[in-house]
Amino acid sequence: MENSEQKFDTEVLSRISNLKMTAMNLVEGLLTGQHRSLHKGSSVEFAEYKDYSPGDEIRHIDWKVAGKTDKYHVKQFQQSTNLKCTILLDASGSMDYDSPLKEHTPKKMEYARNLVSALSYLLLKQFDAVGLTLFNDQVIEHIPPRSKASHFKNILYGLANITPQGSTDIVEVLVGLSERLPKRSMLILVSDFFIQNQDLQKSLKLLCSRGIEVVLFHVLHPDEMHLPFEGDIVFESLEADLSIGLDPHDIQEEYQSMIQTHINLLKENCNGLGVDYVFLDTSESLDQALSYYLLKRKSLIKL
Amino acid sequence: MSLNFSSPLFLLGLLGLTFPVLIHLLTQRQQKRVRFSAVYLLAQSQKRSIKKSRPNKLFLLLARCLIIALLSMALAKPLFSTTTSESLLPNSPASIVFILDDSYSMGTRSKEKTLFNYALEYLYEGLKEAPENSEFSIVLASSPARIEQDWTSDKSNFINILEAQTVSYRTTYIGDAIEKAVKLLESGKQKKKIILLLTDLDKNGWKEETFPKITVPYPIQVLNFSELQSEKNKTMIENIEISQEFLTQSRLLRVKAKVKNFSKTVNRLPLSFFLEGKLIKEELLDIPPEQTLIQEFSYPLIKNQPLNGKLQISDDVLPIDNSRYFPFHPSQNIQVLVVDGDPETISHQSESFYLERALNPFSVSLSHIDPTVSTLAELTLRNLSDFSVVILANVRELPPGYELELEKFVLNGGALLFGMGDQVDPKYFNEHLGNLLPVQLESQQEFKVGSLRLMLKNNNHPVMRVFSPKAVEEMQGINFYSMYTVQSREEKKFKVGAWFSNQHPAVIESEKGKGVVILFLSSLDRDWNDFPIQPTYLPWVQRWTQYATRGLENISRKDLLVGEPFHKNTTNTKWIVRAPSGTFYRFENNVFTKTFQPGIYSLFSIPPANTEDQKALKKLPQGAEPVGTFTVNIDVRESEPNKITRKEIEGLLQGFKLEFLEPKSQTIQHKESEAMPLATPILLMVAAMFLIEGWMVRNE
Repeated sequence: MENSEQKFDTEVLSRISNLKMTAMNLVEGLLTGQHRSLHKGSSVEFAEYKDYSPGDEIRHIDWKVAGKTDKYHVKQFQQSTNLKCTILLDASGSMDYDSPLKEHTPKKMEYARNLVSALSYLLLKQFDAVGLTLFNDQVIEHIPPRSKASHFKNILYGLANITPQGSTDIVEVLVGLSERLPKRSMLILVSDFFIQNQDLQKSLKLLCSRGIEVVLFHVLHPDEMHLPFEGDIVFESLEADLSIGLDPHDIQEEYQSMIQTHINLLKENCNGLGVDYVFLDTSESLDQALSYYLLKRKSLIKL
Repeated sequence: MSLNFSSPLFLLGLLGLTFPVLIHLLTQRQQKRVRFSAVYLLAQSQKRSIKKSRPNKLFLLLARCLIIALLSMALAKPLFSTTTSESLLPNSPASIVFILDDSYSMGTRSKEKTLFNYALEYLYEGLKEAPENSEFSIVLASSPARIEQDWTSDKSNFINILEAQTVSYRTTYIGDAIEKAVKLLESGKQKKKIILLLTDLDKNGWKEETFPKITVPYPIQVLNFSELQSEKNKTMIENIEISQEFLTQSRLLRVKAKVKNFSKTVNRLPLSFFLEGKLIKEELLDIPPEQTLIQEFSYPLIKNQPLNGKLQISDDVLPIDNSRYFPFHPSQNIQVLVVDGDPETISHQSESFYLERALNPFSVSLSHIDPTVSTLAELTLRNLSDFSVVILANVRELPPGYELELEKFVLNGGALLFGMGDQVDPKYFNEHLGNLLPVQLESQQEFKVGSLRLMLKNNNHPVMRVFSPKAVEEMQGINFYSMYTVQSREEKKFKVGAWFSNQHPAVIESEKGKGVVILFLSSLDRDWNDFPIQPTYLPWVQRWTQYATRGLENISRKDLLVGEPFHKNTTNTKWIVRAPSGTFYRFENNVFTKTFQPGIYSLFSIPPANTEDQKALKKLPQGAEPVGTFTVNIDVRESEPNKITRKEIEGLLQGFKLEFLEPKSQTIQHKESEAMPLATPILLMVAAMFLIEGWMVRNE
C-alpha cells in the first residue's frame, strides 16, 4: 500500500476526492428520510415463535408468552451475516470511449467510476463488505471485499488508477471468478457488454446456480446507440478489431437496430435468469438512474 | 483485326486520367478518424446494409476515368479494321534477304514521309514478328548494288543497321541486287529461303541483261511502295547545256535548261538561276503536258573566274530532280592537240606552223585556245583526255590501234578535225577510220588558178556568223588548187558546213557520241590553197575550233553523274576533294570515286611537302589552294514516273516464285474507307457515362 500510495499523483488524488464527494452526495441523498434502525443490527431481527422442544436453549424462551399462554415458546431470530459484494468493472479499451463530438456527455469510464464508487459507498454504509475486481480479457486487479469504512479508500484508489485497454472477455473472467466467490454473495457487473460471440447467458446461469446474486449495469454512451457521426469516417477500434472506413449515414439505421437488439437480448436473458439488468445511458444523470434502481429493488424485496 | 488512330496526338489526353485519381485520393485523405468502441458492430451492419458507400466511390472514380479515356480516344479518331494484317515474314525460322531499293526515286514524298521511310517502317514491323533463329541480310539495290549486311541473327543489331540507311542519290539496279541476293541465299543456313524486295518499281532499274540466270527457284516477295504515293513526280530539270559566246573583249555565258513536265496538265512553275549561291534570275515557265521546255539564261562574264551554278524549279513530291548543278571555267582555255602528219624542215611549209599561229596568234592567250603541236610519233605519248580538240593535219597513217583511242575520245565529247594533204591515204582512211568518218574519201582533184573557190553565200553556219559581209567576200576570193572528193556512207548522217564552187562539200561535220568529227577537204597549209595567208584564216580556224568544242561543257567534261568516277592527271601534286556535304577526301591514283552526292565538288592542291596525318582530314591542310571544281548531278532516268508492270517483272524474273504484296493493306497505312470509324459510338458511350456519373453524384 505504501508503494501504491507513493504512486498517487495529483490527478489521481483529485479524481479520488471527486469520486468520494460524488459517491457520498449520491448515497447520502438517497438515504435521507430512511429509518436508520432499519439498517442497524440486522443480526438481531425477530423471525418467529416456535414450540419449545427439549434441547432448545432455555434463555431463548419468551417468558412473557409463557406467562400468558402457559406454553413454552422459543423466540427465534433471523440468521444474518454481512453481505459480501464484489463489483466487477470492465476496464477494457472500449470503456475508454470519449465522444469526438462537441456535446458534453461524460466519458463512459468516468460514468462507470462514479457508479462503482457510489455503489461501494452505499454498501459500506450498510456495513457490507465490498470488493473491486477490474478486468478486460482477464482479471487485472482484485481488491477483496472488506466491510471496514476505511476500505472505501482502497476502492477509490483502485478506481482512480484504471487505464482502460485490451479486449473484453467477460465469460472467461466470470467462469474464473465463480469458483472463488463465496456462496450467496453479490456480484455487480459494470460493463458496456461489447462482446463478440460470447455466451454470457451460460456464465450468468453458472453464477446464479451458485446462489450468487448478480446485477448487471449496462453502460453505454449515446454515440454508441445512435451513431450520430457524419461524413466519411475511418473507425478505429479501441480494442483489437480492424479499422473500417465508411459513411455512418449509410449504416445508421442498421446499426441502431442492431444495438437495440443487443440490449434487448441482454435484458431478456437477465430477466430469464432473475438477474437484475440496469441500462445506463451516460447522458442521463447517475443519481436518478441509481435511485430508480434502488427503489425498484426495494419494491421487489417487499414483494 | 487492328485498331488505329488518325490523330494519335489526342491520346495524350489519357494523361488527364490522373485528375479523377487525384480527386479520389485527395477526398480520401480528408477522411476523419474516430476511435470507436463497437467497430465490430459497424462492420456487421455494413455487411447487412444495402447502401455501400465505398464501392460507390470507386465506381465514380471508374466512371470519371472512363469518360476521360473515351473522350481522348474519340478525339484521336479511332479506326477499327477487321482485315487481319498478313504476316510479312514466315512463321518458321528462315534465311531472308531484304533487297532495299535506296535509289533516289524512293525519296518520293507521300504525306510527311518518303517511300523509303515507309519501307523501313515496314521492315521494323516485320522484324518484330520474325521468329527466333531467323537470319537476315540486306542488299541495297541502287547502282552499284551492294551487300550492306551479311547474314546475322541479331535483330537489334540488324535494326540498328536499317536505321542508319538513308535514300541515296543513285539509280536503281535491281538485276545486280537480285544476283547478290541469290549468292547470299546460297550461303544461308536455314532451310527456308526468301528474298523480300522493297521497291517503288521504277522502270529505270529493270534491265533485262542485268538479271541473273536462275539455278534455284527462290521465292521473291515484291513489295510495291509506289502504291503509297499520294501523287506522281511532276517535273524535273533534265539537262543543262552551257555554252559561251565569244564577244570581242568579253564572253557571254549561256545556260540552257531542259525542263520536263511529266503530268498531264500544263505546269506553271518558276525556274531559278543561281550563280555562286546567289539568285540571278527567275523565269516563270508554262510547260505543256508531257513536254520538255528549253529555257535559256545568259550572263555576262566580266571577270575571268570559275563559277558554279544551279538551276532550280519549285519542289514536287520528288525534290531531288528539281535542281541541277553546273560548273563553269572561263579561265580555262581550249586545249588543242595539233598533229602534223607532214612536218617539214622549213617551218612555214608545215601545217602546224599555220595552225599554231592561227589558234594562238599572240604569246599571251587571248583566244582562250592553247595549241600543242605533236608529231605522229609522239602521239602515243599524249594523254587525249587532256585535250578537247585534236587536229589531224595531213596525217598518212595513225599508230596501230590508235583509231580506237580516237573513237573513245570523240564518244566522250572530244572534237576531231581532219585536214587533207598530199600525205593522206584514202584507202587507209576509208578502211580504218570508217567508224569516225561519215563519208568515204574518193580522190584528190586538182584545179587551175581561179577555178575553185569557197561558196559562202547564204551560209548560215554558226561559224560564219561573226564574219562581216566584207570578210565573207574576201574569203570567197581565195584560190583553192586541190581538194578531195567524197562519197557518203550508208546510214551515216552528216552536215555540210561549207561548199566549194564546184558543188562539192568543203567542210563536213558529223556528230558522234558526245563529240564531233569535222573534215576539211583541202589542206590546212599553203600546199593546196592560199587560205593560210589570208587574214580570215585566223578567225575561221578559231571559230571552227570553238564550234567543235561546243562551249565549255565539253571543254571541261567534268559534269558527272552520281557514282561516276572523276579522272584527273594530278602528276606530282597532291589533291584534296571537298564534297558538297563538307567532307574532305584525298584524291588518289588520279581518280576520285566517291561522287555519291549531287552538288559541287571543290578541288584543292596541297604542297607535296605537306606531311599532315594521312587519315584525319577534317579540315583543309595549310597551304591548300583551290584548283577547280566539278559538279555531280543525278541520273535523270530514275525520275521518270513510269513503273514496271507485273507482267514485265514476271518476264524478267522467270523461274523465281513471285509474290506481289501491297503494303497499303498492312500496318503502315489504313485507308479510311476500309476501316470503321469508332468516334461516334465512343462519343455516345461518353454521354452515357456522363449520365451514370451524374446519377452517382446525386446519390452521394
